[in-house]
This record gives sequence, structure tokens and C-alpha cells, in this order.
Amino acid sequence: MGDLLLAGRLLRGYDDLLSDVVEGRRLLRHWLGLSLLMAVCAALYGAVFGLWHGPRLSAYVALKLPLVLLLTSALTVIFSWIAALALGLPLKLGQVAVLTFLALSVASLLLASLAPVAWLYIFCSPLPSAGTRTAHNLLYLMHTAFVGGCGLAGTVALWRAMGRLGAPPRTVLAVYLLWVAGYALVGGEVAWVLRPFVGSVYAPVVFLREDALDGNVYEFIFTDILPHLASLD
Amino acid sequence: METPLPTAAEAPEPRGLLGSFNELLTQPLGIVQRAREGRPGASFGLLAGAFAGYALYGAAAGFFQGGSQILVAALKAPLILAMTFLLCLPSLYVFTSMAGARWTRRTFLAAVSGFAGTLALLLLALLPVAWLFSVSSRYLGSIVWLHVLLWSLVLILGWRFLRRALDAIGAGDGMSFWLLLFLIVSFQAATFLRPVLWSDPGKPLFRFQEKMFFLEHLGKAMDQQAAGAEPASPAEKEKRKAG
Repeated sequence: MGDLLLAGRLLRGYDDLLSDVVEGRRLLRHWLGLSLLMAVCAALYGAVFGLWHGPRLSAYVALKLPLVLLLTSALTVIFSWIAALALGLPLKLGQVAVLTFLALSVASLLLASLAPVAWLYIFCSPLPSAGTRTAHNLLYLMHTAFVGGCGLAGTVALWRAMGRLGAPPRTVLAVYLLWVAGYALVGGEVAWVLRPFVGSVYAPVVFLREDALDGNVYEFIFTDILPHLASLD
Repeated sequence: METPLPTAAEAPEPRGLLGSFNELLTQPLGIVQRAREGRPGASFGLLAGAFAGYALYGAAAGFFQGGSQILVAALKAPLILAMTFLLCLPSLYVFTSMAGARWTRRTFLAAVSGFAGTLALLLLALLPVAWLFSVSSRYLGSIVWLHVLLWSLVLILGWRFLRRALDAIGAGDGMSFWLLLFLIVSFQAATFLRPVLWSDPGKPLFRFQEKMFFLEHLGKAMDQQAAGAEPASPAEKEKRKAG
């Protein structure tokens, strides 16, 4: 119930939450509330995300999508905190955690609101088989656009929140860009390690691929995607 | 305009190594102020702690090959930094002195320790990221470029401490080129002390006889794959795309 109330507060502008963050009050409580909201909303969208391959992948992705966000935060939060201090934004670790999870919660809330739309497209898609690669690719594109767009909207909430910290705009901009870049770099890799999400039309449904740690996402882009695009010229 | 140093009351002596690192985060110029006043600081302790931090980052990087290379990288990362500092400190001292800094042995050591400690803090903060990419990357080239990116970022952020310390000591602006020098020397030191991330079985720990420029070394790193990583077949590539 608490996280639903928090969702309502996020929709109304979360001014009181930001006041607490600026003054460093009730940070643990806010972080827990935002984490719970993020986990519930991401799990909701995750359940739809994996639905094309049936209930098993749906359940897996309902677990994995919040896990991607939590693991990425865990891997980047210390760097975000120290980078902010090094750039002259004296924040507590708790403030950094709440600001990060504020962005994630907003993104997850937006994603959850798009779950019915995603469900409709999945419902209207042919069942997965070797001959439905186009449907797979279109669903992949749709989820990527939804997750990317909502993530971007989440960073807008982060930007607004950071504007309340009272630091010089140049410092805030530098910290904001560094946080977003760091999260995107690591988040891309964590999501790659935890694949599949949509589910392959060739491989069976699994929680994690056997080759999860064999090659990183950027190597895949540079060795498999870009050469393929270049050969289309 | 000079950066004001904290007052004596604002810069009490930190307790232990963790206290020194914490001071770098909360009161970065405290160590320089104490040195200026002739009060005991924790310069040598901080320096030792910084090199321990480099070793930990090196160990995380060594996970790319795994096994004994973790220890090798943990040993070589502090060596690379030690070599870089030793080669670059004379130029820092001379150039900043000519730019107006009035160093004493204590203030110079404090500024250098603070800079080394800040770099270590930032590297430790990036340690989980380095570990993740080390255990999951297939090509030496990609992990090398990731470390180059992270190290450049660390230096840019760490420069903030040194610039403020130089400012406070009277060196003024215009010392950014030294950071570029430090970066380039660190790349060459890593090349000189190679192999760090990847070593073929039976090869010596160092290759001092084989001379190489760091750009050539970066180029050669692009062709090396991780242990057991075979190039993906076309069918595997199709599978990997579909996820």
C-alpha cells in the first residue's frame, strides 16, 4: 500500500520528498519506498516483457527486470557518490541512492503504465517459432523504445531533483551527465548478462544463458552489429 | 584567485587510513593545510593506502584472464602508478614552482599524496564496474579500451583535487597539460610493464627487452581474445542477436 501512495506522490510532483533529500532527512525510508515502488512497477512491466514466450519467461523477466535496475545501481552508486564529491557536489551516499532510485522509480512507473500497450502488441503477435523472426525483432524494437524512452524520462526527474540541490548549474550538469552515462554504460552490460528478455526464436527459455558472461554487449555491437550494418552499404 | 584553505579547526588530523580517505571526500584540502602549518598529516599512510587501492583495482582487472593473472595484475597496477608518479613528479615540481607555487617538502608530499589518494578512491569506486566487464568480456581490445576510458575519467575527476591544491599553493592556472603528460606516461608505463591483463602460458612476467610504443601496444591488444573464447560462428551470432 505504501508504494502505491508513493506512486501517487511521484505523480503529484514529489516536492516533499525532494525537500527531505535536500536536507538529508528520512533517506533510508525514502530509499526503501522508492525501491519497492521500482521493483513492483518493473516486475509488472517485466511480466509483460517476457510474455511472448509464455508464463515461464514472463515470471523470469518479472524477476530480472527489477534485478537489472538493482544490480546496476549497486555497481554504480559508490562511483556516482564519489564522482559527485570530486566534482564539488557534497552529497551523502544516502542522498545519491535516493536520487538514483527516484529516477528509476519514475522510469518504472512510466513503464508499468505502458504494460497494457505492450501486452496488446504481444497478444497480436504470432507465436514464437523459427519463422517469426520479424515479430521477435519488432517486439524487441518496441520494448527497447519503451525502456529507453522511460529511462530518459526518469533522468528528466533526476535533473529536476538535482536542480533543487542549490549547487552551481555547471556542477549539477557535469554530475548529472556522468551519472546517466555511467548508469547507461553499466546498465547495458547488466541487461546483456541477464538476457533473454523477449526470448530467442531459436533457443529454449532459460533464466540465464550459459554464455551469459561470454562477451560483453559492446563487443557484440562492434563485432556483430556494426560490421553487419556496414555490409548493407 | 586562490582557493582558500580550510582553517586549523576545520582540518583536524584524521584518524587512520579510512579517516584520511574520508577527509579527501569531505575536506579535500585539509591535508595540504596541515602540511602548510607544519602539523603532522598522514601523507605516507595515505600514499600507502592509495597503492593498496591500485592493487585492488588491478586484481579486479586481472579477472579478464583469471587465475594467476589476478595476482600479476594486482602487482603490476601499483607498479605502473609508482613508475608514472616517479617520472612525472619532477616536472610537476618544476613547472608549478615556475608558475608561482612555493613548495616545502611537506606541502609537496601532501599534495601528491592527496592526488594519489583521490585517484585510488575513484578507482575503488569503479572496481565493481571493472570487475563486471573483466569477467564478461571476450576481447582484450575491448577491456583495454574500457580501462583507458575509466582511467581517463578518473584522472579528469582526480585533477580537481590537484588543481585546487595547486591553486591554494599559488601555482595558478595553466597546469592542465601536466595531466595529459601524466596520462600518456601512465599508458607508456603500462606498456613497459606488460603483460598486465593477459599473458600467454610460459611467457616471462615482464618483457623489458621488447620495446614498444603504447599506441602500437593498444593496436596489438585488439586482436587478443579471452581464454577459451572462440570467435562466434554465424549460427551462434544469430542466436546471440535473438534475446
